[in-house]
Amino acid sequence: MKKILFILFTFLSFSVTNSYSQCDSIANRCLKNLPPYISDGQNYRALLVDDEVAEFHGTFFGGSTYRVSACSGLQDGNLIFSIYDRDHNLLFTNEKHKDAPYWDFKFNYTQECIIETHLNKTKNLKSGCSVLLIGFKQN
Amino acid sequence: MCKVLKKTFLVVGITGILSAGFVSCNNKAKEEEPEEKIDSTQSNFVKVENAIFSIPSPYQTASLIKKLGVTYNKDLCNQNKNLAQYSTNFKKGLNLGVYGADLGYVAIYEQSQDALNYLKASQKLASDLGIGSAFDSKTIDRIQKALGSKDSLLSISALAFRAGNNYLQTNERNDVAGLVVAGGFIESLHLTVSLANQFKTQELFNRIGEQKNSLDNLIKLLTPYYEQPEYTEFIDQLIDLAYVFDAVETKYTFIPPTTDEQNKITVINGKSEVIITEDQLIQITQKVKNIRTQIVG
Repeated sequence: MKKILFILFTFLSFSVTNSYSQCDSIANRCLKNLPPYISDGQNYRALLVDDEVAEFHGTFFGGSTYRVSACSGLQDGNLIFSIYDRDHNLLFTNEKHKDAPYWDFKFNYTQECIIETHLNKTKNLKSGCSVLLIGFKQN
Repeated sequence: MCKVLKKTFLVVGITGILSAGFVSCNNKAKEEEPEEKIDSTQSNFVKVENAIFSIPSPYQTASLIKKLGVTYNKDLCNQNKNLAQYSTNFKKGLNLGVYGADLGYVAIYEQSQDALNYLKASQKLASDLGIGSAFDSKTIDRIQKALGSKDSLLSISALAFRAGNNYLQTNERNDVAGLVVAGGFIESLHLTVSLANQFKTQELFNRIGEQKNSLDNLIKLLTPYYEQPEYTEFIDQLIDLAYVFDAVETKYTFIPPTTDEQNKITVINGKSEVIITEDQLIQITQKVKNIRTQIVG
């Protein structure tokens, strides 16, 4: 029994470590789409399975333009991201723009937004680390 | 966030065992599923565990301060000499965020020598926290070369902090990552409040009120660590501050956005307004002062 538990633990540890390193490399790939915008200094990541949705809650200041870079896996377009205002009105989804891996947003007024991400269903992805990076510049 | 990762990666492990394979972030199935329109309201939400909370970069508020023509005041920043008294990881994490925010402030005002000093302070704390690689010699060289260029300096510094944040998350040290973010938030708020009281500028009053949601997000970000003794008091103070912010009124009017497909940009047209009273500003000022004194003292 102890042996089985040890094998189970070892496998879980390997899977976890493997997933962390995958998130790491995805974040680094995602970063390449950010310039010339300045990173907000944070990484937003979540592991998604099947049709799970990760929610990102943030404030976007008026008078700034932001770039949202969204990645999962090794190819662009694996992650769908949609931005909603505080009343859950849809403001943007990359699904309507050829699954674009990044997009810019100019905010005239400060807004509380929710960004939802999920794996691109058209690519049959079963699981993946989703990474969202945000850059900004003052208008 | 730590909780999110723990939960999700546990799912990964179990899924991996059941499928006797390794998890792939790019696992293409053999059969193509028919394309279907995704209705987010029908999606399988994991609202609590998969919620991620963002705190705006302190550099953004520093940019606003400079844009308003407010004169540079180094006395508002944390002093470098305080560095020696930060002995615990809790204090080091918070003050790495504080010095990071100060670095942004002085960099925007193109104060090269001050920027270099805050850079060194950040490097020391990062090294103590085991994330020295974010401020390695190559990065430091790049920053030193960029001292004459505000935009380059901000950009490289922000990337260094992002690298540190990435390293901490990868190594399951989300508690420390949260502290760095918290320190930066409080220092940024301290700068804004101090200057708003001094210059009575409506834009700064608005910016203070606009931190209401970010403060809530910060509390949610740190809550998983509430049971740790040092966090308990700190989070309680943030909650106390959030009660004052709760009374700050915000109004919002939805206006459809406009998208420029060719330039890949969407203009968010919705209008918002913040109404913050004199009494609220006084209370926020006092509470921020108390929290910051405990962090940097």
